[in-house]
Amino acid sequence: MSLYERLGGEPAMQSAVDDFYRRMLTDDRVSNFFDDVDMDGQIAKQKAFLTFVTGGPAEYTGKDMQAAHAHLLERGLADEHVDIVVAHLGTTLAELGAAPEDIDEVAALAESVRGDVLGR
Amino acid sequence: MSEVANSDRASGATVRTGGLEVALREGETVLEGLERAGLDVASGCRAGTCCKCMLQAEDPPADSQRGLRPTLRAQGYFLACQARPERDLALLGAEAPPAIDATVESLEHVAPDVARILLRPATELRFRPGQYLDVLHPSGASRSYSIASLPSAGVLELHVRRVPDGLVSGWLHELEVGARVEVRGAFGQCFHVADDADRKLLLVGAGTGLAPLLGIARDAREQGHRGPVDLVHGGLTPERLYLRRELDELAGRWPQLRVHHCVLREATKREHEGRLDEVAIRLAGDLAGTRAFLCGDAEIVRVLQRSLFLAGVPSGEILADPFLTLRA
Repeated sequence: MSLYERLGGEPAMQSAVDDFYRRMLTDDRVSNFFDDVDMDGQIAKQKAFLTFVTGGPAEYTGKDMQAAHAHLLERGLADEHVDIVVAHLGTTLAELGAAPEDIDEVAALAESVRGDVLGR
Repeated sequence: MSEVANSDRASGATVRTGGLEVALREGETVLEGLERAGLDVASGCRAGTCCKCMLQAEDPPADSQRGLRPTLRAQGYFLACQARPERDLALLGAEAPPAIDATVESLEHVAPDVARILLRPATELRFRPGQYLDVLHPSGASRSYSIASLPSAGVLELHVRRVPDGLVSGWLHELEVGARVEVRGAFGQCFHVADDADRKLLLVGAGTGLAPLLGIARDAREQGHRGPVDLVHGGLTPERLYLRRELDELAGRWPQLRVHHCVLREATKREHEGRLDEVAIRLAGDLAGTRAFLCGDAEIVRVLQRSLFLAGVPSGEILADPFLTLRA
């Protein structure tokens, strides 16, 4: 059974994405990257991302991830910001009831996305 | 235990779209059936997450609507990759609704730059209060206005702000009673869905964003909503706020409605002064489980959406159709 299913599937992802996105919007170290984005679109993308990293049914392509972040590289998006996002992801999942080993697994999967996000 | 998926056996349900009829096989989804029939249907994850395969039908299976906004569910949108209907399913087309003739029944200037216009449609126009319609100008141009009235009223109530040098709003403000106009609609995702009569509703809008909010409040009342309803109308200064007496009367007839007025400056005893998002959050109290309706210019709606989300309104419960003003 995937972490996605154990956490409660789609309804759990819906509340997780709200929690995750609130953490990012209120963290001054990363919130400015979200200044001009359409909130609905952003939440839909992040929900798909959370679904993907918890082993749920999601379409993921590194190409989409690169395209979505390319303009942020010019604004200084770097490793430190990815670290912050991965940390928030862990906190969100912990609050949802994920075990530490689950969170490590998710962090490893999120780590595999780092190269695409940072365009390398 | 064995599971039969996509066998050749018919499931008993037929999907109709345009002139095409597709008899679904046992275990087959609507998406799979349409693809087997040779239709090119957009799809992505095929697992109910990405929403690319969203289609519309009368009364689709409830479990194929999971995760969609309440207004989308109410309009029959569903995910084709999740739908295994037990009954026949008629897909609704994507074609635009037809233009309809309407007659100006009354026109009243309710604020220095706002007219309340009542239009009587010649034929029925299906809408939910809070949705918007397009008014067609003789030149071919069109502009969108939200509907403040109930379907049972028989007229379409629009609040039209006169945009400086505005082609359509200037023309509408000068129309005589009895004049004919063409309208097309309705559109939009900002309307009341009676899925929980005890839920708290928060209606926030600026300027003529009052029109959809008034429609939503009237609709919630007519549909027997019991939970608290806070309506916050914002404007730059007190003289920009309009229909205050009607709002007070509505609140008088319907005790769970509280009406608040908010201005950026020159507040009297009757208005709150400050930023609309901050005032609304302060007045509304606990926001967990609240459904919020946000109406007005795109920039105001964007700020409200972000502030209310951060204050605790679930993202899936924030309903908004931002107004986009075209410069003449």
